[in-house]
Amino acid sequence: MKKLEFAALVSIGRYIKRDSVIHKLGAKAKYLWLFALMLAASLSKYPAVLLFTLALALIFLKLSKIGMSFVFRGMLALLPFFLIAALFQVIITLPGDNSRVLVSVAKLSLTLKELLAIAMMGLRFVLIMVSLSLFTSVTTERETASGVEELLAPLRRFGFPARAMALTVALAFRFIPIIANELETLAKAQAVRGADFGTASHNPIRKIRAYLPLIVPLSIRTIERAEALSEAMEARGYGSGPYTRYTNNVSGKLDRILSILAVVFMVLTFSIPASLVLLRL
Amino acid sequence: MAKFNTRKLVITSAMTALTVVMAVTPLGYLPWFGGASLVIIHIPTILAAVLEGPIAGTIVGLAFGLSSMIKAATAPVGPLDFIFANPVISVLPRLLIAVCAWGVYKLFRNKFLPLAAFSAGLAGSIANTVFVLFALWAVAAEEMAAIMQLASSALPAMLLGIALSNGIIEALTAAFFTSAVLIALKGLDSYKKRSRLAKEK
Repeated sequence: MKKLEFAALVSIGRYIKRDSVIHKLGAKAKYLWLFALMLAASLSKYPAVLLFTLALALIFLKLSKIGMSFVFRGMLALLPFFLIAALFQVIITLPGDNSRVLVSVAKLSLTLKELLAIAMMGLRFVLIMVSLSLFTSVTTERETASGVEELLAPLRRFGFPARAMALTVALAFRFIPIIANELETLAKAQAVRGADFGTASHNPIRKIRAYLPLIVPLSIRTIERAEALSEAMEARGYGSGPYTRYTNNVSGKLDRILSILAVVFMVLTFSIPASLVLLRL
Repeated sequence: MAKFNTRKLVITSAMTALTVVMAVTPLGYLPWFGGASLVIIHIPTILAAVLEGPIAGTIVGLAFGLSSMIKAATAPVGPLDFIFANPVISVLPRLLIAVCAWGVYKLFRNKFLPLAAFSAGLAGSIANTVFVLFALWAVAAEEMAAIMQLASSALPAMLLGIALSNGIIEALTAAFFTSAVLIALKGLDSYKKRSRLAKEK
């Protein structure tokens, strides 16, 4: 029965409570910086840009008082896979690689280009991990939802439903524990009736048949619950008048400055290297 | 932009939550033989697309993509996972599932519901497989080749292999589940079942 206790597994966004500048930032600034760091990490081709971004991320990490060890412990689990990938980078010769050979053992050789490729891969990996875990540990669920609204607010002028989007995110967070409990109930009810979910059967048809009594009722009950909720919301007047709010987020000066800086950073990440290339031509 | 009514909004968030639950429990990735798993986590995305249209479906698809990105970056289980920490591979392709599923569903909607639901599930799942593999090939070909111990030239063939073996079974699974849910939801009993009950009386 222990295996069927799904509800305990659900712990989204391991928010870590600390009293720091980063925690106090508005959700919008946090989102913008997450995007800025992720964008640079996954798309930039220049090592200097990646190094600078990593330095920034580490400064944020330091300011957040989360502690390096928390973030890097998560990375340790991935290290073996990274090492394997790096090793194969050495074994396989890149096409058109005629850079200087640094080390060579028997038939294997590590060229400058290969070393650079490995370093870039490592940098990207560390950067993505640091930014993602930093964001999830300094942002509460409520901020995650209100940030969506703040980010999309400029689009409201074109009729984009920013409020509705924020509500969608907030409701989704509310639904998660309910659905997890529902799943647990269903799985236990099926197990009592002799259902076997953990078998090593490799036949996909048997697998589907085993999970059909779980997935179908779960989906249907979720949809029914959602329909009931939407009717309850409409009965209480949702969507019939202007939107109001119980609490108002006031964005401070630091928020605004950091939000603008994030956008500037995003633009600069791509425009500076590009303009350098243009100048050289 | 179409009106985002209450029902659409709430069902979108419910399906998003279902996606998240599937992502953190074993339900989304049913263990299969070897390291492979039978992925059914895209079913809520397809359901949202079929029930509430492409915008709702795309939002759920976004949640699916983000969940797989975070999962890959924080709780990896295989060597391929750290490639999926790149949003271009984990998020972007998942945004296209809903549009494909909805388009196909719309095509058959007025003919025969079980068929429409089945083909929508098929289309959504195939879209997932094809676009993810395409993104892998386009963005991370070198890393993939390195991890898989293959020469870069052999990679397209291997990706095609995945698409044909795992992809087809996944597509059929998704189609089966989607139609099962939709038929139950719309209250359509199959002809066979009804006739047997009639005989029992």
